[in-house]
Amino acid sequence: MKLKYIKTISPVFVAAVLLFLGCKKEEYALPTAKDVLQNTAIKRTLGPNIVTQTIDFAYAAAILPEKGKLTSIQVEATIAGATGTYLENKSYNTNGSGVDVGVPIGDASVNDGAKTTVTFSKDTSAATLRYYYVIPEEARGKTVSFTFTSKSSNGETATMTMGPYTIAKMDMVRNLAVKTDSAYISIADMKVYDPKTAATLGAKIDLIYLYRNITTSTFAHALVSPAADTAYLPSVKMPAGLTNSSKLIKVFNLQDFNLARLQFGIYIDDIDLQQVDFTNAPNYAINLRAEAGTWVQTADGKYRAYIFINSVNANGSAVISIKRLAL
Amino acid sequence: MKKYINITLALSILALTWVSCFKEDTPVDEDGLLITTRTECAVTNFELLGSDFVTVRTVAPVIDTVAQKVSVTVQFGTDLKNLYPQFSLSQDAKLDPKITGKMDFSDLGNPKVFTVVSGNRVVKKPYTVVITVQPK
Repeated sequence: MKLKYIKTISPVFVAAVLLFLGCKKEEYALPTAKDVLQNTAIKRTLGPNIVTQTIDFAYAAAILPEKGKLTSIQVEATIAGATGTYLENKSYNTNGSGVDVGVPIGDASVNDGAKTTVTFSKDTSAATLRYYYVIPEEARGKTVSFTFTSKSSNGETATMTMGPYTIAKMDMVRNLAVKTDSAYISIADMKVYDPKTAATLGAKIDLIYLYRNITTSTFAHALVSPAADTAYLPSVKMPAGLTNSSKLIKVFNLQDFNLARLQFGIYIDDIDLQQVDFTNAPNYAINLRAEAGTWVQTADGKYRAYIFINSVNANGSAVISIKRLAL
Repeated sequence: MKKYINITLALSILALTWVSCFKEDTPVDEDGLLITTRTECAVTNFELLGSDFVTVRTVAPVIDTVAQKVSVTVQFGTDLKNLYPQFSLSQDAKLDPKITGKMDFSDLGNPKVFTVVSGNRVVKKPYTVVITVQPK
């Protein structure tokens, strides 16, 4: 009888104890801040690091107000940034409407070789500064690291290193306007020429942009090699000396973020251009639409590119953007 | 009494274990696909995608199950060397040769032939895919 009593009561008692413990709320305690100068950083840009584009960082430093104030923040890159590299002299916070509000904390940054410095002129205990590194030509294909250093009035120094980051070998050009019959595209130059200039460039012209409103077939917007079958070059008066047969592969739903600047988080990097298989690829791509694209390999095999169609217009024009890799 | 309960329990566990280990001998083919009793053997739909995975057809395909022929008209300028065919087949049927990637349909004089194999793997019907390019 006694055993039965224990067997029945014990689980109920244990459950009650567990229930009681489960309901007990632990008191929250504010974390104690470290009493030394602290720092941290994040890289804000994604995708390949392309020459002439920026790599953005946000660097934060803080010290207890009773210990001292921030006096300077400095960034040193292993390869000096190109013109336009700077460190914000504003510390940002996001207001209730989601808008970033900058509070000036000192004078504009000063570049000295690979070093960029902001000296604080306002009493500041904590600040998050943004750093914009414009990738220079000499960094192409190399790696770059960044050393962020903050100093405080009590003589303390905090340092953080970011990287190394590989700089892509590719080039990029955006928003090239092309118009029917006056759109001779050179991948080598990453430019568009009119027929007169194209005739003087000959072997440099890799593609011709065309728009044809043919009722019996779907031609519309097209990129065609000068050496393609004339069926794909209707009514084109080809300037003399244009003989390249570039290979093209049509692509859809590849809205590279750098080229399209749309909501898609897709990035084409060097390796993507290197790995495209052009075996049996044709030398024309017709019926192209907005947000479509084509992989391209030049006739001499020197360049590979991705041409993205930003927009098309039924009057026979389009806007294209190009990423190109020299092989 | 307790002894009998224990024996019954042990026997039940043994029986369950034996049953769970018993494997039904279901026939599968060399691809690991189930061989069924179905004899239906036909192409029910056909699609042809370009290198951009967008259809190159201009109209719906014509599937003649008597003549065992799929006729499809593609857009002018279609890159016939790099096409991805897609077949819909009768239930449990499979296709030979298998489609593993893009295929070359550029030899219009010698249309490709795909054989549909029924669910029971007995009935085999070759289907010819005839491609016509839209005129310019």
